[in-house]
Amino acid sequence: LLQEKDVEEPLFELEMVLLENDVALPVTDEIIARMRRDLVGRHRKIGASVDDLVVSTLRSALCGVLGEGLDLSRYIREHERPVKILFTGVNGTGKTTTVAKVGQYLQTNGFTVVIGAGDTFRAGAIEQIRTHADRLGIKTIQHQAGADPSAVLFDAVQYAKAHDIDVVLADTAGRFHNRANLMNQLDKIRRVMKPDLVVYVDEAVAGNDAVIRADEFNKAVGTDAVVLTKADMDPKGGAAISVAHTVGKPILFLGTGQGYDDIVPFEPRAVVNELLGDES
Amino acid sequence: MLDNLGTSLKDAVKKLAGKTVIDRAAVEELVRDLQRALLSADVNVKLVMHLSQTIKQRALDEEPPKGMGVREHVLRIVYQELVRMMGSPGEVALEPQTILMAGLQGSGKTTTTAKLARYFQRKGLRVGVICADTFRPGAYDQLKTLCDRISVPCFGDPKEPDALKIVREGLPKYRKLYEVIIIDTQGRHALEENLIEEIVNINEISHAEHRWLVIDAALGQQASEQARRFHEAIGIDGVLVTKMDGTAKGGGALSAVAETQSGIVFIGSGETIDDLERFDPDGFISRLLGM
Ligand SMILES: Nc1nc2c(ncn2[C@@H]2O[C@H](COP(=O)(O)OP(=O)(O)OP(=O)(O)O)[C@@H](O)[C@H]2O)c(=O)[nH]1
Ligand SMILES: Nc1nc2c(ncn2[C@@H]2O[C@H](COP(=O)(O)OP(=O)(O)OP(=O)(O)O)[C@@H](O)[C@H]2O)c(=O)[nH]1
Ligand SMILES: [K+]
Ligand SMILES: [Mg+2]
Ligand SMILES: [Mg+2]
Repeated sequence: LLQEKDVEEPLFELEMVLLENDVALPVTDEIIARMRRDLVGRHRKIGASVDDLVVSTLRSALCGVLGEGLDLSRYIREHERPVKILFTGVNGTGKTTTVAKVGQYLQTNGFTVVIGAGDTFRAGAIEQIRTHADRLGIKTIQHQAGADPSAVLFDAVQYAKAHDIDVVLADTAGRFHNRANLMNQLDKIRRVMKPDLVVYVDEAVAGNDAVIRADEFNKAVGTDAVVLTKADMDPKGGAAISVAHTVGKPILFLGTGQGYDDIVPFEPRAVVNELLGDES
Repeated sequence: MLDNLGTSLKDAVKKLAGKTVIDRAAVEELVRDLQRALLSADVNVKLVMHLSQTIKQRALDEEPPKGMGVREHVLRIVYQELVRMMGSPGEVALEPQTILMAGLQGSGKTTTTAKLARYFQRKGLRVGVICADTFRPGAYDQLKTLCDRISVPCFGDPKEPDALKIVREGLPKYRKLYEVIIIDTQGRHALEENLIEEIVNINEISHAEHRWLVIDAALGQQASEQARRFHEAIGIDGVLVTKMDGTAKGGGALSAVAETQSGIVFIGSGETIDDLERFDPDGFISRLLGM
């Protein structure tokens, strides 16, 4: 039988691995506590090492947290068109770039796409999304800087309906969850355009705040799926675990660079293997 | 930054109050609470372990000065070690200078470039800005729009793909006309060798007096490694922490300071041009620990 003291050392080491890879402290605490409960009192086969048992338990715990991902193409095929996707998140995480990448991904998979330039606030935001869309041959619906983003995105949806477009991708301005007026604006956008999917975008290199903001966005406007960008900065980015644990929604894609192809459908095993090493 | 340190540390410190000899268990508890506070503020794990070890050692080894209670003694050690970790605030001289902005994608370089332009302009200096980001779509529009709002000239060419060429052309021109020149660059990270080389070259041809690293307050454990690489490449002499108006604690920026042996120069706390503050570590930690 495994005793508390047998697992103490390996659990401490794993705790350090999680913390050093940006799994937020409360999430790490919870995972380690659950593992301790599961492990202590368990039978150990003769010859099997405690370390191996602990690591394989963690491996399946993390896979459980991360979930199975979501097949976007299939989702679109199974829903009424146009499928409307709203991108949300704090400043600078990669929403606009992700909109462009997803646009290209969907075109490659045979869908037609329109982009709504819903960031009317940040300097250069409209030029940015417009340039991306032009390069990819995607139609952009835009208003002037300072216009009401709900109106822009409403127009984008109308355009899609009138032109039999399969998917509307709605960009929004980055905003902090502790700014009530900005969160209300996002809620208004959601009520006006009625998205099928609200996709929350955060970056793989975010630390403990990932948990707080994911939770606040989820509470304020809901989250149906998650994209983690900038995984190329840190392939082990544990923010995926923090966010998935917090909102309990599937991760759609990882962003892995600044090119349009730098987007990979999420695979929980691949992320866990990066973190803990390949399964032996 | 680190503002939840206040409450949890205060609780731990309370347990030392009224004691006349150092109680090992109480110190250990304090150190554990300190560790947790720093870890949830995103201070580098190794740095946290090292710092807490040092504090523990000093608290147990050093005799409190005459007349000082155990509680004050331990608090003073915590305070001193935290100050040491933060370094001294980065210098800002009100004189002609060139500042090179560096940092990860989306960290806030362009926004902070405009904020800095505003800062120096308010101090009565003639400021010009150069857009050496030739990669990100809309980068020039973004910087130009921000600069127009404060009537600061912005050199750049959205059609030119070569950032070095822009710096080579713009810098001599602007040096004749302006006193403070700020060069905005594209985002990059430690694993992008060619982009690191680009900023090494920009630094070489610009002979910038300052090379400031822009760090998002929410950046986690990557902060140390990223800062190390930027420091190795161009010699970082100041850290700018952005997005402090959110809920992130900025421990990543502190880790970057430790890694580069520099200091925090400014703190960005909003999206508008005036949302920039100087950093004051002393007052900051005092407030932090309720001293
Ligand atoms: N390395 C890397 N950079 C990325 C990735 N995704 C986005 N970026 C870069 O990150 C920066 C910010 O991306 P944006 O798409 O503008 O981010 P945003 O969330 O729309 O920003 P705001 O609208 O200002 O809130 C840009 O320089 C992008 O090229 C990624 O997966 N990897
Ligand atoms: N709330 C808040 N937002 C900020 C702050 N600083 C920058 N931002 C926002 O963060 C996002 C990214 O800022 P940028 O200045 O474009 O970042 P960058 O480092 O130039 O990005 P790249 O050039 O793509 O690498 C934008 O939405 C900014 O408005 C800040 O202090 N507070
Ligand atoms: K960021
Ligand atoms: Mg954007
Ligand atoms: Mg920029």
